[in-house]
Amino acid sequence: MAKTVEKLLKKENLDKLITSVKADGGRWIAPVTDARQVVFKAVTKHEDMASDYILARNSYKEVLFPQTEVIAEYSVSREGSEMHGVELTPAETVVFGARPCEAASLKSLRSVFTWDFIDEFYTKREEKLIIITVACTKADEACFCTTVNISPESTEGSDIYLKETVSGDYLAHGATEKGKAFMAKHGNTFENAPKDAQTKKLVMPEEINGIDLDKISERLKKTGHYEDHVWAELTRKCIGCGACTYVCPTCHCFDITDEGTAIEGERRKNWDSCQFDAFTLHASGHNPRDTQFKRWRNRFMCKMHIYPEKFNSTGCVGCGRCVRVCPVRLDITEVMEALSK
Amino acid sequence: MNNIYLPQLVTIEDIYDEAPDVKSYRLVFKDKAVREAFDFKAGQFGLYSAFGLGESTFCIASSPTRKGYIQCTFRRTGRVTGGLDELSIGGTMGFRGPYGNWFPLDEWKGKNIVFIAGGIGLPPVRSVIWNCLDRREDFGNITIVYGAKTVADLVYKNELEHWGGRPDVKLIQTVDPGGETPEWKGKTGFVPTVLEEAAPKAENSIAVTCGPPIMIKFVLATLKKLGWNDEQVYTTLENKMKCGVGKCGRCNVGDVYICKEGPVYTAAGVKKMYNDF
Repeated sequence: MAKTVEKLLKKENLDKLITSVKADGGRWIAPVTDARQVVFKAVTKHEDMASDYILARNSYKEVLFPQTEVIAEYSVSREGSEMHGVELTPAETVVFGARPCEAASLKSLRSVFTWDFIDEFYTKREEKLIIITVACTKADEACFCTTVNISPESTEGSDIYLKETVSGDYLAHGATEKGKAFMAKHGNTFENAPKDAQTKKLVMPEEINGIDLDKISERLKKTGHYEDHVWAELTRKCIGCGACTYVCPTCHCFDITDEGTAIEGERRKNWDSCQFDAFTLHASGHNPRDTQFKRWRNRFMCKMHIYPEKFNSTGCVGCGRCVRVCPVRLDITEVMEALSK
Repeated sequence: MNNIYLPQLVTIEDIYDEAPDVKSYRLVFKDKAVREAFDFKAGQFGLYSAFGLGESTFCIASSPTRKGYIQCTFRRTGRVTGGLDELSIGGTMGFRGPYGNWFPLDEWKGKNIVFIAGGIGLPPVRSVIWNCLDRREDFGNITIVYGAKTVADLVYKNELEHWGGRPDVKLIQTVDPGGETPEWKGKTGFVPTVLEEAAPKAENSIAVTCGPPIMIKFVLATLKKLGWNDEQVYTTLENKMKCGVGKCGRCNVGDVYICKEGPVYTAAGVKKMYNDF
């Protein structure tokens, strides 16, 4: 096997790199401490970036699939109504400091937005996206990537995969053609790596023993599990706030709504959540998922059955965001464990 | 940029009052090229926009054999249908589609077709009825069993009269007990009961049913009793949809995306699904 060529990205060169990306009209998105929380935001200099973090609280999916966006504009007049689509010309966007778990979620989002009908609001942004992942040297009790067959060593979804060196710089590995081209273009900041570069030890979250993905998969394939009491029993405490779906890097549900006056306005694509009761409510009043456990069951099915079976992708990447943000401590790994029995 | 969410503009060419709060619109694409190229199959659906209010999903209620226009039938229920309801002839709406699969009419050649519909479940079936009637020589006996809560709630009254007068169609109309008027000449009773009395033969036949979930449940049971198997019975599943193209995450029944893999299924197909109805 050919040895992959690694380059050295010195911390002191980060500003040069950010400036260079911005000079080309691009954006640099990185974890930033904002109101005491680490979140992905646009930055202009490296000292604004958070360094001591496990994972940004939000996922970088909003760079590809914004919380709200205009997809068309309408006008209504006596002479006739019109609707025009908006043209999207995204700038190059570098996401720096993503973690390997969330990088692995990209394939899932892409599969939903590109099967058969191509959502160009997604694809045009993805074409311009460079994901620079920094492998984890810290983890917390919510991290469970290794339980879902991902680890800090996974490079799937990363364009450039970085490992921190003991001296605080980064060893860079071009993981995709796009990543390699980016490194070549910014060759003055990616130097030849010294042979003896020492990297920091990666932290592997401990695998959760009681979880058996094969068993979960077999159980979910049989339609009869919809009648299992386990769903209502384990998920009764869910209050349906939808927070898990907003921080999840693979949640893709959205609504299409018109906002404006009777004369003019916009049609928007907005994040929605399968955890809300009105989400599936029919005009007749009938609701197929009329109780919270059915909605929770749907989300679990989406992650652990629909994504893997329909799209051959990982629905849950084990980032643990849903676990951290849940106001009632409903932990997806507890349900995974129960379904492994 | 190809914007899959951008509707085509359609003009309301005609409006028909069908029942209390139920109207049909005859729609024509404003763009001549779109109008000429537009094609669909019976069973497909679309998303209809009232600008400023949003989009709603309905089937295309006209037959693909009738070119140059589409028809939709809807009940005024919420925000979008309320907005659509207030438009008048000459008004503009948006239309996206056609989406989804269709009834496999070509596989039904030479067979008897039984249509069983309840209330506002007739519009999707109407597309198939007219499609079959416009290719009448391709099919055997055609029977239509249609019921609604009251006489007033029956939709397509003029067409019911036409179908009832045709020698090549057997039409059985019914209203729920209590829904009849002194002039009512049809049957009184629930659709499954009337279906059982009519006892259509299963041999070399296809059934197409649409209506309230409770009606469909008992229609399936009745057909089973009459010796029909689940492969002969077709229905169309309506679920709430926003995108219509397999992305917004609403219409799935378990792992089946109704908008992409449906909405048309055999009863056998429906029984294989997760209980997510």
